[in-house]
Amino acid sequence: MKLKVNGTEYEIASDWQDESLLDVLRDHLGLTGTRFSCGIGVCGACMVHIDDSPTNSCLTPVSIAVGKEIMTIEGLAANDGTLHPLQQAWIDEAVPQCGYCQSGQLMRALSLLREKPDPDDTDIDQAMNGNLCRCGTYPRIKRSIRKAALVLREVK
Amino acid sequence: MAQLTRRNFLIATGWIAAGATVLYKLGDRAIAVAPTIIFPDEGMAATWIQIRPDGSCLMYFPRMDMGQNANTGLAQIVAEELNISINDIEAVQPSTSEVPPLAVTAGSMSLTAFSRPTAIAAATLRENMRERAAKMLKLSSKDILDDTAGFRTTDGRMVNYADLVNLSAIYVEIDEESPHPNLYTFDTQRQKKQVGQPARPLGIKGIVTGAPLYSADVQMKDVLFGRAVRPPVHNAEIAAVDTTGVNTVPGFLKLVQEDKFIGVICKTPGSVNAAMSRLKVTWQVKQPINQKEIDRLVNVDKELADGNLENTFHEESHRSDANWKIDLRFDVQIQSHAAQEPRAAIARFNDEGSEHLLEIWTGTQDPWAMKRFAAMHTGLDEKAIVIYPQRMGGGFGGREHYEVEYDAVCLTAAIGRPVKVQWTRRDEFMAARNRPASAHRIRIATDDTGKLSDWWHAYISGHVIFARDRLPGWLLPVARLAGDDGVVRGANPAYAAPHQRVEYKDVDFPVDLGVWRSLNAAPSLFAIESAMDELALQLGEDPVKYKISQMKGELPRLKACLERVRDMAKRRPLPQSEGYGRGFACGIYEGRCFVAVSADVHVDREKEQITVEHMCCAQDVGMAVNPDQLSAQMESNMAWSVGMALLEQLEVGDDDIKSSNFDNYPIVRMAEMPSVDTAVIDQPAIPPAGAGEVALIAGPPAIANAIRRATGVRALKLPISFADIE
Repeated sequence: MKLKVNGTEYEIASDWQDESLLDVLRDHLGLTGTRFSCGIGVCGACMVHIDDSPTNSCLTPVSIAVGKEIMTIEGLAANDGTLHPLQQAWIDEAVPQCGYCQSGQLMRALSLLREKPDPDDTDIDQAMNGNLCRCGTYPRIKRSIRKAALVLREVK
Repeated sequence: MAQLTRRNFLIATGWIAAGATVLYKLGDRAIAVAPTIIFPDEGMAATWIQIRPDGSCLMYFPRMDMGQNANTGLAQIVAEELNISINDIEAVQPSTSEVPPLAVTAGSMSLTAFSRPTAIAAATLRENMRERAAKMLKLSSKDILDDTAGFRTTDGRMVNYADLVNLSAIYVEIDEESPHPNLYTFDTQRQKKQVGQPARPLGIKGIVTGAPLYSADVQMKDVLFGRAVRPPVHNAEIAAVDTTGVNTVPGFLKLVQEDKFIGVICKTPGSVNAAMSRLKVTWQVKQPINQKEIDRLVNVDKELADGNLENTFHEESHRSDANWKIDLRFDVQIQSHAAQEPRAAIARFNDEGSEHLLEIWTGTQDPWAMKRFAAMHTGLDEKAIVIYPQRMGGGFGGREHYEVEYDAVCLTAAIGRPVKVQWTRRDEFMAARNRPASAHRIRIATDDTGKLSDWWHAYISGHVIFARDRLPGWLLPVARLAGDDGVVRGANPAYAAPHQRVEYKDVDFPVDLGVWRSLNAAPSLFAIESAMDELALQLGEDPVKYKISQMKGELPRLKACLERVRDMAKRRPLPQSEGYGRGFACGIYEGRCFVAVSADVHVDREKEQITVEHMCCAQDVGMAVNPDQLSAQMESNMAWSVGMALLEQLEVGDDDIKSSNFDNYPIVRMAEMPSVDTAVIDQPAIPPAGAGEVALIAGPPAIANAIRRATGVRALKLPISFADIE
């Protein structure tokens, strides 16, 4: 079994082929930026993209992701280390507190901006409502998404 | 003698390898406010700053990071004193073998207790460097002037710190008795460059790039995975166990069963889940767990009918037969921490002769307590154990017990290989030391002019600081004879009345309790600020003006917060249509933090919805070391205020905890989060105090007071549901 994550192909050992995508990413491949929080798909901390679609990896058997393009938080910055405008906005607005949910928040925000390059407050509320943040960093997440959206539109 | 020991300790750990190090020992008085509660005999807390031969600055972070970013504030203080930028500081989270014990990270004490010692340490190092520069250049130290990362002479020559530090170890010790150098941090005349700036939290890049930061991110060769069954309450006993089929699970390696512990070890996390689902444990609980029992325990009216409550916290010519204008009972339900990260730990035993026989990686508020617990648990000498503290995905008071670490140690001991334990969300709810439910009877009387004459607040709450297993069993009954500081927190009103009585009783709950953000201050202030608001309404007074007029003596800082928040709220006009209301509340936390909050609420009768649309928060916690992080904490507390006012309640079932995940213990989501305006009231001359749990005391009553204005209904219990105000 092979899995393609952030453009790199990985061989999945036989012991791990019945695991969730989240556990494979974290404990088999060592890509620990995607995090476990609720385990039932209601908090978004484990969000990754499978063929550009935001997906809770805790509920996804790894076998479903075979043959698809998986993108995790580790693949968000450019290969030369340049941060994605979302990551830069997250730093500029000092979004994270405990930080645990932020990988999932960033991955969900990324797909929102792909769907809607100029989201309004309602778009952001709707898209981000499945991503919990116990620290309550929502106002800053909202500001950062708008800021990054502006940067991304200017680039285009 | 103690200093010599510490110096030797640091040399032995390799900390003083080269460069100039400053050592500081906190005085015993400072320790007393931030003790390691479980074993209160701990000696000292300390903080280290070092300038290395290349001129860079290394700092051991003395606080455990869980989102409050207190270490960033302390780094700003170091940078201010040393004339460097915080980006020039390399920060290290020390293991328990690298530094002597540091006080538990709790109670928003980080800046309160650590800012001054940190400033003294850095300033002493700076002045020592200045003397070295003077000696090197054969000048008087008064001719050596400050410059970036070093000094310049009056004739324009530059000396960097790197020029002054050689490859041998230099240490600069501070004598507590002798005067310390000028502290730039606390110099009100100084134009500050670091302190007072909105510095980005150190380590933020790692968070947004998904770097390994938390316990479960630790990768280890030959690691196995395991978990143990969590009881609904910690004093439950196992009545029956059925393990049928566990050994048929693919990847299953071992069942570990001893005394009250049942756990499994498997090859993968998925096989742990499958194996755990085969374990059927029936628990025997000591006290019946159900909501009725909890309601019975806190029935303040029944207890009052039987006589005075156990403890009188405050009494001044009390009259029980005043002509009460306000006579209301407020109830607050149990809340859980529900931190985003379910706890995890990894433990590893090493061969005889290794530096440490047992290593534990865990996110905890008190690593040194973990070390002592692990020593007690395993019988190993404390010196043979090391804890590597990891960043916590939220703490809020809930991460001080040796539990996930216990599981990891038991399992790794049973199989002789390192074991990673990742709790599930349900485990996290079962293990939580929750904030107790409480019930408050508040009675207020006034004279003919509306001035407060009588204040009587009686309440019953579960234990907080003296909750079960927060202290050794033999000590608990003794400790409980003294007042529980967590239960009385916030109950001292800001308002003056010639006749006052505040009394309480703290009781043992069937569910596990402990320290939760702001302890009992948020429940007490909900009752106090709701009652005062109702009184202002009855008297036909403006609530802000009325509260200010009734404050005890001079409380200019609280008054300023309330006035500021009223002005901030005005900037956003409240819709005139039906169902909108604006409420205010204010409070004092720990005697040194002042806060006021406004809330704009919309009650939609068709949709049967209560929405908090906007909140304003003004806060004064003394010197604003990092105003942006103070705002961040206010925003966080506003989110928790909405949760406490409208959403959160730990559900208990029949001898079980029902709340198990975010689907049955809802916390605030993006769409429920109001917009928030914050104001930081800076007091450069007053030492900084912690702000992590301050604003939560005023948020919930502000929301309840807004609902009162939107609907005419006074909410008497939290959380408030639409049905309560119909």
